[in-house]
Amino acid sequence: MDDTKKEAAPEEVKEVRKNGAADLIMGALLIIFGIYVAYTALNMRVYTTFLSAPGFFPLILGVVFIILGAMMVASAIKRKGFAQVKVVFAKSNLISFVKHHEFIRVIILVGMMAIFIFGLIGRIHFGIATSIYLFANFMYLKSTSWWKAIIISVVAALMIVLAFTRFFNIPLP
Amino acid sequence: MFDTFMSELSLFWNVLGSTLTITNMFVVTAATVMGIIVGAIPGLTATMALALLINLTYGMNLTIAIAFLLGVYVGAVMGGCNAAIMVNIPGTPSSAATALDGFVLAKQGKGGLALGTGIVASFFGMLVSIVMLIFLSPFIYKIALRFGQWEYFLLAVFGIMICGNLSTGKDPIKGWIVGFLGFFVTLIGLEKVYAYPRFTFGSLDLMGGISLIPALIGVFGISEVLFVLQEKVPYKIEGKVGRVIPEWKTIKAVLPTAIRSGLIGVGIGAVPGAGEDIGAWVAYDIGKRRSKHPELYGKGSFEGLAAAETANNAVVGGAMIPMLTLAVPGSPPAAMFLAAIWLHGVRPGPMLPVEHPGFLYMIAIMLLCATFAMLIWGLILAKPMAKILKVKREILMPIIVPLTVIGAYAGNVRGFDITVMLIFGLIGYVLRKLDYPMAPLVLGIILGDMADISFRQALMQSRGSLLPLMTRPIGIILMVAIILIAYSGIKRAVEFSREQRKIIELKEAGRL
Repeated sequence: MDDTKKEAAPEEVKEVRKNGAADLIMGALLIIFGIYVAYTALNMRVYTTFLSAPGFFPLILGVVFIILGAMMVASAIKRKGFAQVKVVFAKSNLISFVKHHEFIRVIILVGMMAIFIFGLIGRIHFGIATSIYLFANFMYLKSTSWWKAIIISVVAALMIVLAFTRFFNIPLP
Repeated sequence: MFDTFMSELSLFWNVLGSTLTITNMFVVTAATVMGIIVGAIPGLTATMALALLINLTYGMNLTIAIAFLLGVYVGAVMGGCNAAIMVNIPGTPSSAATALDGFVLAKQGKGGLALGTGIVASFFGMLVSIVMLIFLSPFIYKIALRFGQWEYFLLAVFGIMICGNLSTGKDPIKGWIVGFLGFFVTLIGLEKVYAYPRFTFGSLDLMGGISLIPALIGVFGISEVLFVLQEKVPYKIEGKVGRVIPEWKTIKAVLPTAIRSGLIGVGIGAVPGAGEDIGAWVAYDIGKRRSKHPELYGKGSFEGLAAAETANNAVVGGAMIPMLTLAVPGSPPAAMFLAAIWLHGVRPGPMLPVEHPGFLYMIAIMLLCATFAMLIWGLILAKPMAKILKVKREILMPIIVPLTVIGAYAGNVRGFDITVMLIFGLIGYVLRKLDYPMAPLVLGIILGDMADISFRQALMQSRGSLLPLMTRPIGIILMVAIILIAYSGIKRAVEFSREQRKIIELKEAGRL
């Protein structure tokens, strides 16, 4: 039992550190956001009474964000959040984060989604855009061999286009 | 009393006659099978499936749309047990508790029996929840008729508070934050009373507001795709499936647990936003405490498996109770279902029995049909499902992306909704990475409008004084509940903070 605990401990400490730093940053951002919401709400037009004004509910919500943000910051400070922010934002840590395979993978996947949505859709036919997107994904993820990737991406795009236009009568972007 | 009963019975028979058509039965069966397959594939959840399918139902008539969505919902919640048992990766979060005993049983060569028991348990759970839905809803309708604007505002806040409290492990503040952020999302656009633009930055697209469905598709579709594909997790099917139909003695042994877990599932389902996964964990925990053999839990106990599976399916009917009576969904998939019936012009709430008489019975009958389809097709598909589980997630998940794009675009036919979907997908992914739950966010987006309008109207009716509002009995009950939830949540957050601090201090002292 003790051995397991000892082995798990460094990961747990890493997680605690990460949580403390993340909570401190999120709490601070929430306070700033709450102030912005409340300030904007106060500047909204009052038609008859302030109680029915468009800004009344956002004002309350802004105050709620400030309170919740303050609670998070207070909790993170108790967990030595400031010190952890320094550890988390240390140059070596940031470099290893940026080089982490998970981070790179997500950035590439999001990049491919963005190219599909903003670069291909609307410029070429949705079916062709889908085939290209799927093929690029299958290749990057090493899902299957290249020729199988071509077949699957073309067939999947064709099925999607036919199903939505013929069967469900739904317009494609 | 007798007259009321007879008129309700006559209404039920009428609805039964109009609902049980060949087309409806075909749709509900096909949708349930589709749901079972979707639920079985790790990464594809009931919520995601419903979010993607909402806009497909736009061209369908109401009854068929309901048959389609309920079939998928029921099938997907049960389907999750396939992957949980055979590969130890819950197909949906609701079957995470199932994996504890199910996977152990699969390793012992009893995978088929575990699947069969899980399917039968899900069937029991659905039956219990349908009965409770029919008998409890009329009472809640009566209470809901006494709700004023103030009570509706408090109900929305209560929903966020309790959902935030239940959906986060140790730090409820995170749940509350995302819930109130959901409220904020609904503020963007032209305000409903004076058509005043709020938080639009002069953008014409934002004037129209953030559409509900693209936001939900982003949160549950795109973020899930990124979450599944962020790293390669290979999995393999453990052992052979073997016999699927459970033995009578097994069913008899798990029956008391199944009934109790069914009731727990209904109770959890009726709590705003709580969801199937929480229902399963609570029932599993209580089942372990009340069991004669708690030592077997986690080591291949059919009882433990039945407790989790009965409860997660019982949540389906339970979640329909507040959704139909108060327009407050009991789980994220129920929130999707609510968005779908809004699309078809049905406004759930206390006036539903007047505006759509028999709607409750139609839902119950469709759920019952889906339940039988789930039992039969679940058992038939148990063995072939092992082959479906072999399909790589690296092939399936990218295909989801074009579907999310169409799903987001189809509702309003505007490109801006696709951008909204992508942005919400990224926000959802980052929040999930930081351990923020998604259920309160969905609930916040669903209830935000109600909270805003009800709050201001209640204060206008009371001429700005809180005093008259403080004397309303239902309001008092809700306020007390909110205060108690806030108190217990803050207490938990403080304890969590202390625990974390202790770990850091031990590390600094060199004892870890």
